[in-house]
Amino acid sequence: MKILVIEDEKKVALALQKGLESEHYDVQVALTGEEGFYLLCSREFDLVVLDLMLPGRDGMEILRTLRRSKAQTPVLILTARDTLEDKILGLDLGADDYLVKPFAFPELTARIRALLRRGRGDEALKLKLADLEMDLIKRAVVRGKQAIPLTAMEFEILEYLLRNQGHVVTREMLAREVWKETERATPLDNVIDVHIGRLRKKIDEPFKGKLLHTVRGVGFILSEKAS
Amino acid sequence: MSLRPASVRVRLTLWYSLILAGTILVFSLFVFLFVKAGLFSHLNQQLESDFKTVSQASSEEPNETPEIETESSTKIFQIVKAGKLFYQTPAFQKSGLPLIRQLPSAGSPTFRSPSGARFRLKTGQIEPDVFLTMAVDEEPVWRTLRTLLTILLLSLPIALALAAFGGFVMAGRLLEPVAVISAKAAKISAESLAARLPVENPGDEFGRLAGVINVMLARLEDAFERLRRFTADASHELRTPLTVIRSVGEVALQEDLDAAAYRDRIGSMLEEVNRLTRLIENLLTLTRADSGHVPLGRTETDMVRLVERAAEDMRALAEEKDQKLNLNLKGSAVLRIDEATVRLALVNLLDNAVKYTPRSGAITVGSSIREDAFFIEVMDTGPRIPAEQRERIFDRFYRIEKDRNSLAGGAGLGLSIAKWAVEANGGRIELEIGEKPGSTFRLVFPMDKSNLK
Repeated sequence: MKILVIEDEKKVALALQKGLESEHYDVQVALTGEEGFYLLCSREFDLVVLDLMLPGRDGMEILRTLRRSKAQTPVLILTARDTLEDKILGLDLGADDYLVKPFAFPELTARIRALLRRGRGDEALKLKLADLEMDLIKRAVVRGKQAIPLTAMEFEILEYLLRNQGHVVTREMLAREVWKETERATPLDNVIDVHIGRLRKKIDEPFKGKLLHTVRGVGFILSEKAS
Repeated sequence: MSLRPASVRVRLTLWYSLILAGTILVFSLFVFLFVKAGLFSHLNQQLESDFKTVSQASSEEPNETPEIETESSTKIFQIVKAGKLFYQTPAFQKSGLPLIRQLPSAGSPTFRSPSGARFRLKTGQIEPDVFLTMAVDEEPVWRTLRTLLTILLLSLPIALALAAFGGFVMAGRLLEPVAVISAKAAKISAESLAARLPVENPGDEFGRLAGVINVMLARLEDAFERLRRFTADASHELRTPLTVIRSVGEVALQEDLDAAAYRDRIGSMLEEVNRLTRLIENLLTLTRADSGHVPLGRTETDMVRLVERAAEDMRALAEEKDQKLNLNLKGSAVLRIDEATVRLALVNLLDNAVKYTPRSGAITVGSSIREDAFFIEVMDTGPRIPAEQRERIFDRFYRIEKDRNSLAGGAGLGLSIAKWAVEANGGRIELEIGEKPGSTFRLVFPMDKSNLK
């Protein structure tokens, strides 16, 4: 999978490159709008991560030209401008998703995975990790042979974690995806921690292998390996 | 009006003098006319009585006219008989008045002699073909009037000078408090806003002026104080996580640690980054709110459902502290509001309520419709908020316990954000402190045309 990162802030660009490469993507970095535009025109990419505020050629302009040429490459916008108008403008111009700076890296990779998966229609009916199994139709969770009763909220958190298994999930992602919170300032971190604690009590504590891990300063990860 | 004198004092003096000048002029005119009329009326009476005396004497004894003259020694008259001068007094002769042989036509009774002296004449027929012309000298009257006029005209500038001087002094004395106020006010700057103007007599205009300025100064001082505190608090809140990030990073680099330990240090730094991010997020929300640039997506929202959802979301937090979260939701209303911001306010209030209510305490969330408004109440059983802090509680970074650990309590922006969020949606937020411990935060959303449908 080839990803083009157009980002003028060198440190951010290099961090993105390293991070995405560790997730086994093939990453190309462009530090100016012109360079990014040239690369977009001359090569094929599976996805573009585009900073909106660029010197020389503005991100919006690149997006506009790209969409005019009928290219369907998914574009994920990075922006420090988080007003509603900016978001709407970006999406109207044909961006597929946006992230407001400063963003959490796990969130970026989750969005990239979602964009790359899009249209492949692999909706699973069961989610599984080790001996933990979730039946999305019966809305039942089983670990080993033992059924685990979960509240609606816990079920949704676990579902999201299972869908992103092996990847870190931040509190912000949970707030948006599970609580459908649109206002970033709403203080839900403590609530999320409480629910994660209860979930852990149910799916991990009675069993031998621990699956739900906390990644300090970032979020949570559902994985067989201890982090 | 470029000619307008700069100082009020000069203006007052000018007006004062002008009005006085007008008054004196009118007064003088009246006095002059009155005296003139009086003097001439007296003169006329004298003329009439002299005429009577002479005409009687003359008709009784027509040939003894010199006696008449002695009787009225100073009299000026002539008698014309059959068109010829029969007799005239020496004074008449001296005056140079003409011979009058017939009744004069109507007109001014004043006659100017060739020498320039003015005489008042009365001519009458005392017998057939005998005409008596009586005259009185007007000059003494005119002299008196001239003297009067001189006195009046001389007194005008003197009175004016006195008035101007007096007015200037009086205005100066009256305006002295203004000079004091402006001198004092000029000394008060941003650094000395605590100073107040002296109020000598709170009842008069200057006292009221000083009072009003003092109230304004108090407000200014308060605003400056809040700004100063905000800046101090903001820099404290921003610097603390930065300091942690820096020192944790620096110390970690000095030490020789294994991968897990480094991870832990990085995690610790990221925790602070998150805290900083959230803080900046909140500050940006408030700053945007200040400039009024927050676009709200108002949709018709079931208020009770919104309250219920927010409360249920926070229930887990309360349960962790063994607190009881009671819902007492009454009334149902669909209002046009921005759901996300009102939810933001509610979650902040509930978060606070859980934080301040002790373990095993109770929190009650109520809703009702009263007086055409939708009320949401969040009642906690935390410690009483001192009454004097009720105003401050919505201030940015304000915390009741100053020394409280900010890790546990957040940055103290929650209530300011809640206040903004409610007001942006046309509502208001109130804090009620009752007799019992705990406080009630009340959100009031008026149900009128603006937010119904």
